[in-house]
Amino acid sequence: MSNKLGVFVCHCGINISSTVDVDQLVKYASNLDGVVVSKDYKYMCSDIGANLIKDSIKKYKLDGVVIACCSPRMHEHTFRGVVETGGVNAFNLEIANIREQCSWAHDDKERATEKAEALVRGAVAKARLLEPLEAAKIKVTPEALVIGGGIAGIQASLDLADGGHKVYLVEKTPSIGGRMAQLDKTFPTLDCSSCILTPKMMEVANHPDIELLSYSEVVGVEGSVGNYKIRIKKKPRYVDVEKCTGCGDCVEACRLKDRITSEFNMGMGKRSAIYIPFPQAIPLKCTVDPDHCLMLTRGKCGTGPLCVEACEADAIDFKQKEEEVEIDVGAIVVTTGYDVLDPSSLYEYGYARSNDVITTLEMERLISSSGPTGGEILCPSSGEKPKSITFILCVGSRDETECNWCCRIGCMSALKQVYLLKEKLGNDVEINVCYTDIRSFGKGYEEFYRKIRGMKTNFFRGRPSEVRNAKDHLSIDIFDTTTNKLFEITTDLVVLVPALVPRADADEFARVLHVSQSGDGFFLEAHPKLRPMDTFTGGIFIAGCCQGPKDIQDTVSMASGAASRAATILSKNELEAEPQVACVDEDACSACGVCISVCTYNAIELVKEDDGKSHAKVDEALCKGCGACVGACPSGAMQQRGFKDKQILPMVEETI
Amino acid sequence: MKKYALYPGCVMSTEQYAYEMSVRESLPLLGVELIDLQGFSCCGEPLKSVNQLLTLYLSARNLAIAEKQKLDVFAPCAMCHLALSECKWVLGKNADMKKRMNEMLATEDLKYEGTSKLVHTVDLLHDHIGIEEIKKHVTKPLKGVKLATHYGCHIIRPSEIGRPVDSEHPMKMERILEALGAETAEYPEKLDCCGALLQINLDESALTKSGQKLKAVQEHGFDGLVDVCPWCHKMFDARQTKAGETVAAKLDLPVFYLTQLLGLAFGIDKKKLGLELNLSPVDNIKLGGK
Repeated sequence: MSNKLGVFVCHCGINISSTVDVDQLVKYASNLDGVVVSKDYKYMCSDIGANLIKDSIKKYKLDGVVIACCSPRMHEHTFRGVVETGGVNAFNLEIANIREQCSWAHDDKERATEKAEALVRGAVAKARLLEPLEAAKIKVTPEALVIGGGIAGIQASLDLADGGHKVYLVEKTPSIGGRMAQLDKTFPTLDCSSCILTPKMMEVANHPDIELLSYSEVVGVEGSVGNYKIRIKKKPRYVDVEKCTGCGDCVEACRLKDRITSEFNMGMGKRSAIYIPFPQAIPLKCTVDPDHCLMLTRGKCGTGPLCVEACEADAIDFKQKEEEVEIDVGAIVVTTGYDVLDPSSLYEYGYARSNDVITTLEMERLISSSGPTGGEILCPSSGEKPKSITFILCVGSRDETECNWCCRIGCMSALKQVYLLKEKLGNDVEINVCYTDIRSFGKGYEEFYRKIRGMKTNFFRGRPSEVRNAKDHLSIDIFDTTTNKLFEITTDLVVLVPALVPRADADEFARVLHVSQSGDGFFLEAHPKLRPMDTFTGGIFIAGCCQGPKDIQDTVSMASGAASRAATILSKNELEAEPQVACVDEDACSACGVCISVCTYNAIELVKEDDGKSHAKVDEALCKGCGACVGACPSGAMQQRGFKDKQILPMVEETI
Repeated sequence: MKKYALYPGCVMSTEQYAYEMSVRESLPLLGVELIDLQGFSCCGEPLKSVNQLLTLYLSARNLAIAEKQKLDVFAPCAMCHLALSECKWVLGKNADMKKRMNEMLATEDLKYEGTSKLVHTVDLLHDHIGIEEIKKHVTKPLKGVKLATHYGCHIIRPSEIGRPVDSEHPMKMERILEALGAETAEYPEKLDCCGALLQINLDESALTKSGQKLKAVQEHGFDGLVDVCPWCHKMFDARQTKAGETVAAKLDLPVFYLTQLLGLAFGIDKKKLGLELNLSPVDNIKLGGK
């Protein structure tokens, strides 16, 4: 209970004072019950404003503070620190939001002032009833989990491990490397992608503080910031990784050699049923594909599995079973990447109708010397060199019927491929680029674009209406909006630059992680500008394309950022728990368990006392203070600190 | 019997009689009762470039007449179907416009609520009656003929107002024709324009469009072309020879309404289906037995 309150009204420049009569509000507040001092200042969040509050606390021996200013989401944290250093418990502070909920929303000064008075009146009523709270301490597990072994996951793992933290890196596929491993060269510097990626992959493999869990999936995340319990499913490779040397003899021996579509080559090449996805794979171990291997699908492989025969190390083991392991970590960095839109959904572009309509990633595999054609550019249908290649940009991107957003890498990746194709095919090839706008926004990008524009390439500004099969070629009608002319392009190979979309299992995985998604399905950052790597779930950070499309440069920066955000938690021995959590009036609790059923954080359990009576108990480290149990409790036994019925109800009464 | 108010439109009832005849003959076999209502007017579509409000009013008026009898509307003409669909779409979103329309309709004691559903030949057959039901009535399957389809622009676009078929990859006519026993195939020019809407000011261009499409269909080796719009049919069927001359091609491609083929597969007499009124060489192929 506080009976010596101070009220501090902020002008917020003119954000508040232009619509609310601050002088009148200050005068009004000074007459409220329990208020001993009432003051205003232009910027209460400034140093001078903070000192005004601190000095008043001392001078008037305040035991509670009400600040009428912007939303508590903006400055509650700041002001808690101010009152705490001034000598008042941080939770004896109440904010009256007279900016977002009053001055910004209204223009009638008289009525807005009236409303501000009501908000302050309610806040003062609640402040009189607030109790001081102490934050509990939580021990931190100083280890980190990184989910996804693409360039973002690799960078985040290395940064964290170099900082002295143990890192578990979980990768779903048999090898780390991700999308970047599939690329031939990177824009705008034309660095060989695998040449700059492989050293980092090796570093991950050899780092004493990184434990790589490849071909594994995170299936359960429980706990909270500082103390997460992770369940990981380790899929059986049917190969003993201790014994396998990665020699590849089994791959050569497999009966299904060159008969199974290669995922790594985006369907452009074939592999065996036992395989290593690409030559630089980490770990360099074989994996048996359970969907195709004859032993695993039919239980029989000719007269006996040839791979077993070929393996000198005796590493193949068809009896391997799926395993589940549990680890404890203090923070999580999510770097699960993106999927490429399947352009079949845009029927007009012919991806479903012609083998000679491919995507940029497929073209990347054709260009790559480790790709299915050894780096030769050949039309998939005829196996011949194309005389004309046409790029169509923004396929599904910036398109209300598919994806509203820009893929951010499409323009540059197409321009890069134009350069590489010119390099490989010389002037024998005619290249057309159908673009919407060329977005060359990064460092060195515009310069690269200029270089390509000078390279005898036809640029058409517009979106083709259709890619049409003709006898021995493809034909495209395009209306060029720079010249207002309709062109008919005859071409041999069409490269679609498709939209980047969230991973197919993003919805499901967001639920496992308890993180939010934005409307487009990518994982949602806590603030688009100021907390881009944080999620709303404490201790879980995001980086790379799982948050939204971005290029390698931005992905690596963001991964380092996320690692450093995670390190701020891991480098502490203990964290302060949020004290505004649920608590139980044990005498009033009937142990009905309704609260347990609504709690999404598994923070409540029923306990039995020695006298045989049961009641609910809240694990304060797990409770997020969402209030769901408080609303659900039929007897009122469940209360939330700082928002108890006896504090909220008088506030409501006073306000209205 | 499922009842529909038949909205005939102007083209079908003044020159494209074969469409109306085949609709009236074949659909009752599938359990569709067609009701003729008094007072229908122009759908309004031809006036759209001159007076959009009038277009909307005429469409709303026609829909209100059917609504008064609590009937869903069947518009076999693709252009009428578009006008009526657009009216439903606009009035469904714009409450002020709906109020204004109802004030105008009140003079005739009519009211538009939007309760009547609207169908076109293709979705009536494919979605409401269904392929399985159609198959049950086939007595003379269209064996050994390979047919090309032409949907016509009005039933494929604009997709945001809701059209009977997909705007980029329509396949419902193919499914229906296959149910009748015919063979179908994709061809690159499938979505190309018939040219009809260019007739008024650019007749030469209109005929070129028709001619190019017919020529392509003929060259792909199809035995015939099937359509569901009286405007398209007029170009491909009645003006075929002229269209051929424009693109310097000798065309002799049989062109049918989908409902004519439906009737033939159901064993209905050619005469009743208006096949004699087709000007393209429909006798080139043997269909439905004798």
